[in-house]
Amino acid sequence: MLPLKDKVALITGSSRGIGNAIARKLALAGADIVVNFRKAGGSSQEQAEQLCREVEGMGRRALMVQADIAVKDSVKKLFAEVNEKFGRLDILILNAAKAPFKPIEKLFERELRQLVETNYLGNIFCIQEALPLLERSGGKIVFISSLGSRFYNPAYPLGSMKAAMESVVRDCAEGLRQKNISVNAVCGGIVKTDSFKVLRQFWENIDMLPESLFVEPDELADVVVFLCGKESRGITGQTIVVDKGLSNAICRLPESK
Amino acid sequence: MGQNLVTEEKVFGELKKAVVETLRADENKIKPETSLIKDLGAESLDFLDINYRLEQAFGIKMARHFVLEHIEEMYGEGTALDENGQLTDKAVAVLKIRFGENVAELKPGMDMDEIPALVTAQSMVSGVMDILDSLPEKCTKCGASSWKSEDGVKVKCGSCGEAAEYSNGDDLIKAWLTKVQEEKKLF
Ligand SMILES: [Zn+2]
Repeated sequence: MLPLKDKVALITGSSRGIGNAIARKLALAGADIVVNFRKAGGSSQEQAEQLCREVEGMGRRALMVQADIAVKDSVKKLFAEVNEKFGRLDILILNAAKAPFKPIEKLFERELRQLVETNYLGNIFCIQEALPLLERSGGKIVFISSLGSRFYNPAYPLGSMKAAMESVVRDCAEGLRQKNISVNAVCGGIVKTDSFKVLRQFWENIDMLPESLFVEPDELADVVVFLCGKESRGITGQTIVVDKGLSNAICRLPESK
Repeated sequence: MGQNLVTEEKVFGELKKAVVETLRADENKIKPETSLIKDLGAESLDFLDINYRLEQAFGIKMARHFVLEHIEEMYGEGTALDENGQLTDKAVAVLKIRFGENVAELKPGMDMDEIPALVTAQSMVSGVMDILDSLPEKCTKCGASSWKSEDGVKVKCGSCGEAAEYSNGDDLIKAWLTKVQEEKKLF
């Protein structure tokens, strides 16, 4: 029995990395998938097309929509397309992120605005536009955060936006409770995806972390699927940390064999 | 410091390898004039991957920030890009010095998002060559001046075996900008 059969899930920024893993896991759980990516014509579009083929290969329906969540009109079109193709939405995964990698004190005004526009405003635009659809389905919203929301990372201003969104998650969980919409977040540790490539450039010793402390995209995706299913019905407004224990201990000794 | 231990051909070869691995591109399609974005569909994140592979291969640090960002950091926000993210005439002047007068697309008012498309395989190779050219005369560890390379990629001290210590890409861009400013007084 597929737990998410006949559900429709939209994952923002799902051509690559964690978003891609979540889309595949949701499809495996039975959901039809809306794949969103920001930039037309590049490698993201190619990966989005590939993902759609995979989803369809599993016997689900897939819809690919290019949209920049930082632009409100673009978000409106995204949800209009979802409504037109599927007529419903049950699951909204807020995964898309985009940020300059620089210390906060060095950000130009333009970069600051871009940071807030994509990672804060953009996510809220998505929540607002998704509401009418989610209200009908008693839907789920899951925001993808990272440990940058609570720990220092060099050159990672995105962390401050993740922290802001974890607060929005709590607020919306209460605000949307009457509408039967659940809102939660998954906060990932260090995942070896695209943003790790950036981290690696500014944080030289990161390669010294024991391999066992890196999180796989699938490990995050499994918790997202759990939050989208009925087994998580008692959880609301929470941010669940999935980091292999990285944030629990200050000191890490070399692993014994 | 001029050195011929690593040739431009070798750098181009390593770049091709990095591009093939990152973009799964056809090696035969990568020519010096190939735009990684326009011709091969690369995105900004892909450059990180390609840069990382080049860094691992040569033991260097590529620039983290592009020339435009350095201009604004050194001469103030608004000097390279206006509030709409479009190139100022001064930015165009600097970029023409760096990439050659004949980059036809370069004009004031051009959107900053279009700039990365101007990056070609050859300009990546030149970036790496600039860093390799910063090989110091003498080994920083033992003071000998007998660099050698067994594979034509990694350079090490012939005396103590220490890996070559090159300047990083950002420092080289800043030094270059300082020199351009001294000569042309653009800002
Ligand atoms: Zn030496």
